[in-house]
Amino acid sequence: MSPETELARILPLSPTVFHVLAALAREPRHGYGVAREVEELSDGNIVMGPGTLYGSLQRMTDAGLIEEADNPGEDALHAERRRYYRITGLGRSALRAESQRLARVLAMVQERMG
Amino acid sequence: MKRRDRRDLLRTLYPEDFRARYEADLLQVFDDRRGEPRFSGPLGGARLLAFLFRDFVVSMPMAHRRRRNDRVGMTMSDFLHDLRYSFRMLVKNPAFTAAAIITLALGIGLNAATFSAVNGILLRPLPGAANPDRLLQLYRKWPGMDYGSNSIPHFQDLRDRTGDVFENVAAWYFQPMSLASDGTSERTMGLLVSANFFQTYGVNPALGRTFIPGEEDRSPGAHPVVILGYGFWQARFGGDPRVIGRTVTLNGHTFEVVGVAPEDFAGPVTFASIPLYVPLMMQMQVDPGFNRIEARGNNMMNVVARLREGVTETRAGQQLDAVLLQLREEFPDAYDDQVGTTVVPQMEAGLHPEIRTAQVGMSSVMMAVVSLLLLIACVNVANLFLARARERQREMGIRLSLGAGRARIVRQLLTESLVFSVIAGGAGLGLASVAVGFLSNIRPPIDGPWSFSVDMDYRVLAFTILISVGAGVLFGLVPALQATRSDLATAVKGHGGGKGKGSRSRTSSALVVLQVALSLLLLISSGLFLRSLQGATRIDPGFDDPANLVLASIDPALQGYDEARSRAFQDRLLEEVQALPEVRSAGLGSWVPLGLDNSDRGVGVPGYDFAEGERQSFHYAVVTEGYIEAMGVQLLEGRTFTRQDDANGPPVIIVNKRFADHFWPGESALGKVVETAGAERVVIGVVETGKVQSLGEAPRELMYLPQRDRFTSAMRVVARTSGDPQVVLRRIQDLVREADPEMPVSDVRTMEDHMGVALLPARLGGSVLGLFGVLGLLLAAVGIYGVMAYSVAQRTRELGIRVALGSDRRQMVRLVLGEGMRLALFGVLLGLAGAAGAAQLVKGLLYNVNPLDPVAFSLVPLTLVGVAALAVYIPARRAAGVDPMRALKSE
Repeated sequence: MSPETELARILPLSPTVFHVLAALAREPRHGYGVAREVEELSDGNIVMGPGTLYGSLQRMTDAGLIEEADNPGEDALHAERRRYYRITGLGRSALRAESQRLARVLAMVQERMG
Repeated sequence: MKRRDRRDLLRTLYPEDFRARYEADLLQVFDDRRGEPRFSGPLGGARLLAFLFRDFVVSMPMAHRRRRNDRVGMTMSDFLHDLRYSFRMLVKNPAFTAAAIITLALGIGLNAATFSAVNGILLRPLPGAANPDRLLQLYRKWPGMDYGSNSIPHFQDLRDRTGDVFENVAAWYFQPMSLASDGTSERTMGLLVSANFFQTYGVNPALGRTFIPGEEDRSPGAHPVVILGYGFWQARFGGDPRVIGRTVTLNGHTFEVVGVAPEDFAGPVTFASIPLYVPLMMQMQVDPGFNRIEARGNNMMNVVARLREGVTETRAGQQLDAVLLQLREEFPDAYDDQVGTTVVPQMEAGLHPEIRTAQVGMSSVMMAVVSLLLLIACVNVANLFLARARERQREMGIRLSLGAGRARIVRQLLTESLVFSVIAGGAGLGLASVAVGFLSNIRPPIDGPWSFSVDMDYRVLAFTILISVGAGVLFGLVPALQATRSDLATAVKGHGGGKGKGSRSRTSSALVVLQVALSLLLLISSGLFLRSLQGATRIDPGFDDPANLVLASIDPALQGYDEARSRAFQDRLLEEVQALPEVRSAGLGSWVPLGLDNSDRGVGVPGYDFAEGERQSFHYAVVTEGYIEAMGVQLLEGRTFTRQDDANGPPVIIVNKRFADHFWPGESALGKVVETAGAERVVIGVVETGKVQSLGEAPRELMYLPQRDRFTSAMRVVARTSGDPQVVLRRIQDLVREADPEMPVSDVRTMEDHMGVALLPARLGGSVLGLFGVLGLLLAAVGIYGVMAYSVAQRTRELGIRVALGSDRRQMVRLVLGEGMRLALFGVLLGLAGAAGAAQLVKGLLYNVNPLDPVAFSLVPLTLVGVAALAVYIPARRAAGVDPMRALKSE
């Protein structure tokens, strides 16, 4: 499958997936870290419970948008229990494509609303 | 919330693969969240729970989504998951499992066994025959007789004139044969068959060859060859292949063994395993005395035809009608009264088409009874499941409240019940195979190769699978639907059953009523049949004390005696038997009542015109002087036979009262004339009307012909004894051996044992129904007890509270008893109505008993009410006796 068709299959992203990708855009995070980051990015509008969070993470891992990362070891206390995630190349492309699509939509809406 | 509780919650909430992957993280996130200010403190805890719940509801579909993406795979994994869970439940509670499986296995096993019997005798095509759906049985049709046999010349004409509709037409009849080889002789029942017999059935020999059509069916007496049945070859010759080409002595003549029939073909009927097949053209050698090959009017053969490919039964019927018209033209005397040919597909013939209705009736009764038994077993198990479902109500409630679909949970519960029923089905098959082994080893008390071909084939297997799954759904569905209908509040609080008036207790009440009603129906039905069988044994057979009447069959012609020698032998034997000190009177007869060998003869009566369709032939016996006296048949008018009633004197006949009333109502029959057996015979005596074929029959006409005039070789010695009948039986055998050491004596027994044959179907049916009845009573008692006791036990808490509040214990027991008995009585009424309806349906199969037999209709309900009362009383007392505090704490 070419990257284009794969992207076409994934897009458009759901708000949750978009936010999770955005949360991981700069650095790998563990699950709870992702949830907190998403909350912040969305101004507290998206609060992810454990089921939602790991359900999303699982689906996104399966879809190849993110992958599990090595534990950077900064949190020694919980190090052995935390699973870290980082964005993949496909995830990055999807995030970029979705941002551009949203930007276009945004521009169009602003234009129409005058 | 403790960590372990959280883990349990996770376990119930999320699919296993998801849980395995994220459990640690999920718990971690939970802890992290709890650390946040908004979720800390008691209020925060509640907020967190609400948050988690909402999260669960939202994420549940997502976590399960992958299942939907790949439908087959994931449904399969659902199923495997359910299966694994079911097995865990199975092992977890062995007592429950054993109770449910034994109950079900019993029900399923009995159904499978009964179905095997019905299948073997009625449903399946003849084993071993090729394309049995194209085999037809042909019968000559006379007024009043639809299934008449065929004579040899008639068969030959059918065979030769129906070539364009039938590939082959074959014929056969049973013939007693005495086989001697290696110095031992034995009497058995073989078949005389047309040369194309095996080709017609599409059977190839296991060894050697079959008969050769076109050669071995031409010249009478020219081909002394015999084919052995497979079972007989194994038993008598040890399966020795060198048997081909050997010679054996059959009825005094030398025959060459030319073949062995294949193992899977035991003969043209399902009730005998044929040991010997001899070509029809050898009739005069094995069945001497009367040349049947020439006698167009001598009808004793069964004819079977194989339809040509593409020819319909209708077309064949037209051809047969055309042939009959030709024959009527050519032989006006022989055919003027035959009105047609009855065609019966072999697969529908059963034991014999004439008794097919009775067979179907009896089989339906048996199947109905065992189905009822299975239903009762299902109710029992449904009750067990319902009880367990209550114990698991909390689990179901939580699953439901957390968003598990009702369909999903019903599916899980159904999987559990199906696992039970499939295991029970396997055990049931085992039980059935034991029962079938027993059935196929039943031998009727008459000499001969009789045995029922009852075994388990793929139909039985399919039937068993079907009823097992059906039973699983039946006893699983109601409790499953019930369990998932729970309202969350009571489920989570944990004592849903304590309220007593909920829908669950309604289901339980319905089960009590159903259980009682079904049990009643079953027990009354089997009770009626048992009563009917009892009634049959009380019927007067029309002759004296059968215990002191002894019988023994001899047939000098089988040893190659001619008529003069046979007569001399018979006379001498009769004189010697009469001279025995223990014998009061003795005679010889070609026939005794209530056996399987009945012969009839056409009659004419001057001055009497037979109505259209009226039967014109009647049963008869050829007897010597002394026979009627020895039997103890009462003479009403005239005299019995003497030695002077021979060919030199005027032809005479004795008839029974029924015969006399039929032809000369209101007049004395003495001196009247009956045209039969080649003469105009004067009636010299009238005897009472006894039973002829079966104890249950309506009165039948019967004629006695004098043996001095009508010589018959195969006769029975009939002797009335005053001493030990067994001694007399031994003495008769000694007398025969002294006269001719090689003369076989068969069917040596008292009349009482002989009647066992007539009573065999009744006795067999009686013992089977009796067994079913006992099992039914047991299941019903256990079931009623279980259902009742459980519903009372459910109320332990309520009763405890009442006692604590000062209720009188005795009064309370009475209250519970009253409620239970109301249900039981309702069930009894329902069951009585059903039984009364069922009794109307089977009225035709009952004899000598009122379909609303007061004994069955009172004893059974009383017994069941008694069981029900006990089932309520014991647990009610226990419940009332419980310490109130313990009852309250028990939840």
